[in-house]
Amino acid sequence: MSDPPKPKYRVASDKPFLIGLGVLAGSYLLIIGAMVFADLVFLNYGDQLILGNERVQQGRYVESAVPIRVEAGRTYHFRLGKNEVGLKHEGQMLAGEGLFKANTDEVQLQPRIPNAPITASLRPEARVIGIALTNHVATLTTDEPHGLLWGQFIRVHGAGAGWDGVHEITDTTTNQLSLALPEATKVATTVELTKPNPLVQALRSRDIQFSIMLSLISCTITTLLSIWVAVPIGYIMSRFDFRGKPLIDTLLDIPIVLPPLVVGLSLLILFRYAPDWLSDSVVYKWPAVILAQFMVACAFAVRTMRVSFDQIPQRYEQVALTLGCNRQQAFWRVIMPQAKGGLLAAATLSWARALGEFGPILVFAGATRQKTEVLPTSAFLELQAGRTEGMLAVSLIMIGAAVIVFLIARTLGMKRIFA
Amino acid sequence: MITLKNISIRQGGFELSGVNLTVAAGEYGVLMGRSGCGKTTILEAICGLRAIESGSIRLGDEEVSGLPPAERGVGYVPQDRALFPTMIVREQLAFALVLRKQPQTQIAARVNELAKLLGITHLLDRAPDKLSGGEAQRVALGRALAHRPAVLCLDEPLSALDEELHEEMCCLLEHIHRETGVTILHITHSPSEARRLAGCHFQMENGKVVRDEA
Repeated sequence: MSDPPKPKYRVASDKPFLIGLGVLAGSYLLIIGAMVFADLVFLNYGDQLILGNERVQQGRYVESAVPIRVEAGRTYHFRLGKNEVGLKHEGQMLAGEGLFKANTDEVQLQPRIPNAPITASLRPEARVIGIALTNHVATLTTDEPHGLLWGQFIRVHGAGAGWDGVHEITDTTTNQLSLALPEATKVATTVELTKPNPLVQALRSRDIQFSIMLSLISCTITTLLSIWVAVPIGYIMSRFDFRGKPLIDTLLDIPIVLPPLVVGLSLLILFRYAPDWLSDSVVYKWPAVILAQFMVACAFAVRTMRVSFDQIPQRYEQVALTLGCNRQQAFWRVIMPQAKGGLLAAATLSWARALGEFGPILVFAGATRQKTEVLPTSAFLELQAGRTEGMLAVSLIMIGAAVIVFLIARTLGMKRIFA
Repeated sequence: MITLKNISIRQGGFELSGVNLTVAAGEYGVLMGRSGCGKTTILEAICGLRAIESGSIRLGDEEVSGLPPAERGVGYVPQDRALFPTMIVREQLAFALVLRKQPQTQIAARVNELAKLLGITHLLDRAPDKLSGGEAQRVALGRALAHRPAVLCLDEPLSALDEELHEEMCCLLEHIHRETGVTILHITHSPSEARRLAGCHFQMENGKVVRDEA
């Protein structure tokens, strides 16, 4: 009697597992990519017209269309609200958002729902009607209130040499603005103004330029300090056993666990007890920026260094000791060369962490323009001033800076490791 | 000569005490015993990598139990070989000599001499991760021998090798022993290896080392 044929052993396909991996990894990557992409798309890269006051009055629709007086021949910017069907202009219905040139002197806002509030917007283009030049300062008068602020940048075109280009506004009144034009020799006959895109505005602004510089410099100093401290701590925690080690381990985690804002507050309170000369030169000054970044970034560098030392077996040091090293020589000749990857990881991590640090800097260093303003502070200040586009421009600068620094660090690191 | 007199070692719950062992100068000693019985611990104590609680360790005429590993003049080949991953073979062989600040020409000469002795001249510019098991073993031996130690400690040097390489490495170890006259203490749990190589033969039993005359 023969045994019944043994069923052949089979394993399930790897496909579901691999697809699962791909989906989970991909969904996160997709969100990151989509987020950055949305920022890039949202930003208006073209120049914008200078617009005057709102022409749509607040109120409710009664029954029929609301007429609005316009000036024939002028360009208007129209934006549809949620309660309108469109804007009737010469029998045509305008919807959405855009510019149009008025050919009549009345347009009509068509309501979607009776008795609903009026939500559309119609703003005329502001035109330059007066041009003056005294001591290389141009004073331009607009026929509509321009709504621009001192310190913003404006693009002049169609005005000739010495005039055309992006200039900083040095003074404003409702209908006037002044620009310093050191190279302008004679009064221009026509001037057209547009607002350059927020990225240009941000990069031109001395405040933002300062905050880019302060961010890059403070992050680099923070990284160097973090590495300088994290290497010995990581090495001690990885190689030595002593009483109270769990306590020290916990202490090292405090900056990771605490909300960053609390770290800033704790620093601020600590410096109340410092001698005056010390607290006067740190608190609300640039050293406070570095200290606030360091407190948090260093904790991450310590963790990273400790893990990378833990991964290097002690056997290497032991062999080096028998070959004639003392502990110090074994550390520099045998351990550190192997910890290079970890060192690079710790450096990039603490740099990134420092770049994004905001809470403790706000509390401990303040948000003074041209003094303690770093990029996250700039983003916050822009947001507070209601300039979403400005904030977005600052965010893009941060993303750009981080990507460039990381690419450089990683290519250098790769070369070092694989050379 | 290696002389352990009455040494005791404690690590965590593990304890060895009253261990005695003597390997005469230029002899090939093999220490056998089951896994986990403390063979490696004794080897580490000789190298100075593990502190002893009492007793004395003498290498040659010198009492070394208070000396750092660097000053004991031992060559150590751990079981996993522990070749430094960031150095090419040439740098590994030169390592001990560079530490002793020997002139470049002497170092180069010694490295070539070692490479010839071990048959690894063609491997001098390789990274350790590009070496086979037998090749890595040769490099580890060369690294340990570079500074001409009087004593060579080998921790299961043949355990990870296949049958053919095994025999080849045995021949190599005998050859090295003959050429350099170094005193060797070799740890293994393989009786055949012990029979093949041993000049004197030790057995570890119940925490004691017994000289096996058979």
